[in-house]
Amino acid sequence: MISFENVGMRYGMGNEILTDISFSLERSSFHFLVGPSGAGKTTLLKLLYLAHRPSRGLVNFFGKDLATLERSALPRIRRRIGVVFQDFRLFEHLTAFENVALPLRLQGAKKNQVADHVEELMSWVGLEDRMHARPATLSGGEKQRVAIARAIINKPDLLVADEPTGNVDAEMSKRLMHLFVALNKEGTTTVVATHDESIVKSVGAPVLRLEKGHIHLQPGGKPIDPGF
Amino acid sequence: MWGRTLQFLPAKSLREGLLPWVIGVMLFLCTLSLTGALAIGKGLANWSDSLTSNFSVQIVVKDPSERARQTASVIKLLKATPGISNANVLAEAEILALLSPWLGDMPIGSDLPIPTLIEVKLADGAPIDLAALGERLHATASGAQIDDHQAWMTQVLDLAGVMQMLLMGVVFMVVLSTVAIVIFGCRAGLATHHESIEIMHLMGAEDKTISKAFDQRYLAHGLKGGLFGVILAAGVLWLLADLAVKMGQGLISSSMPDPENLLWLALLPLSAAVLTMVTARITVRKALLEMM
Repeated sequence: MISFENVGMRYGMGNEILTDISFSLERSSFHFLVGPSGAGKTTLLKLLYLAHRPSRGLVNFFGKDLATLERSALPRIRRRIGVVFQDFRLFEHLTAFENVALPLRLQGAKKNQVADHVEELMSWVGLEDRMHARPATLSGGEKQRVAIARAIINKPDLLVADEPTGNVDAEMSKRLMHLFVALNKEGTTTVVATHDESIVKSVGAPVLRLEKGHIHLQPGGKPIDPGF
Repeated sequence: MWGRTLQFLPAKSLREGLLPWVIGVMLFLCTLSLTGALAIGKGLANWSDSLTSNFSVQIVVKDPSERARQTASVIKLLKATPGISNANVLAEAEILALLSPWLGDMPIGSDLPIPTLIEVKLADGAPIDLAALGERLHATASGAQIDDHQAWMTQVLDLAGVMQMLLMGVVFMVVLSTVAIVIFGCRAGLATHHESIEIMHLMGAEDKTISKAFDQRYLAHGLKGGLFGVILAAGVLWLLADLAVKMGQGLISSSMPDPENLLWLALLPLSAAVLTMVTARITVRKALLEMM
């Protein structure tokens, strides 16, 4: 579904941050992306959620070669990708409901459809009673669940999460990981970047390990946590 | 909640708060300059009309009886000329009144030869060849000279024309400055909302969706500033008009713009709003193209 072949990435005239990155993500797969700070995790994620084009190499999204893709075609592809950030990046002046509704409104969904979908999803992430709260009044875990709801409201083919558990406690981390695994079981290809090895072990999914700009694929093991 | 525009920007932004006021000041200057240019245009038209619809003929002859004879001949010829509606000899008292700014109350003896002045009015729209008329007058009366005010009027018209050009130049510069201010304001807005724009992009928002949110906001800024500037300028113009009326008839009062011209000024806030919106749209679209 998504493939990277000999991808290199540098900013401006600087050194290459990613070198000869090659991997592919099959439909409904789950991968962790791990690596030390400065290894290029964020850069690779930016390539995965189409915030940047690579400096070199071939990147294929849903059968389309990124190098030959017109800029005007990018929004259509981006709508198939959901993104969750460590710092949530919610619109502070909008309510939780309005934040989650944004991707649907972007696609011109009708008001009643928007309301139905958002209410259903807010209930799924356990925030049915916080729908009209503004982000400033939500806890870290609640904000991240709103961000997850916003990322998946369009039923994306690919979900990319950048350190989604970085700003929440251990209990909430586990709860969020359950949400990601549940989404993956429903068919969403998922990539979760984390530096928390205990989460990786507890889920037991394959790992894309980045070290000094190079990537290595490690097969998944048996989940330690039977809940996964 | 958002209408047809997906408004993802917060309702208030500190950095943009001053923009309507700055646009307002620009519109104030623009309105005053434009009104000045229109008023000069109107003054010029009025002057030209009044000065080209009449001229005077002087009979410069020392001998009083010869002067009277030539005056009678000139009056006869003028009244017989097509396009001339009236030819009237000014009384000596009127001529002395015209001379009084230079001579004061000094008694003028009968030995001082004062030329006869004939005021000639043209029929409305009647074309008349003053050069040919001058030759005919001279053939009839050797002391007859035509004064069509052209010599001094040309200089005044030139000066007024330069003033009008200058004021239009000020309008042009104010418009350019407004565009520059909107561009800077818009760039500041883009920097402030950079993260929100990036999130919208990542959610699959097209450039036009994002720029529409700015369009709506800058249209409101332009309209607000435009109304403020034009209302303030209208107040100042009203005061000037009132002062001009109190000063009596003269150059200023005859140059105040017509109500129709003032109606055109009412369109300025709308023009400011559209200019601001279009400038913002171009700036935002250009900035978005730099993003992936």
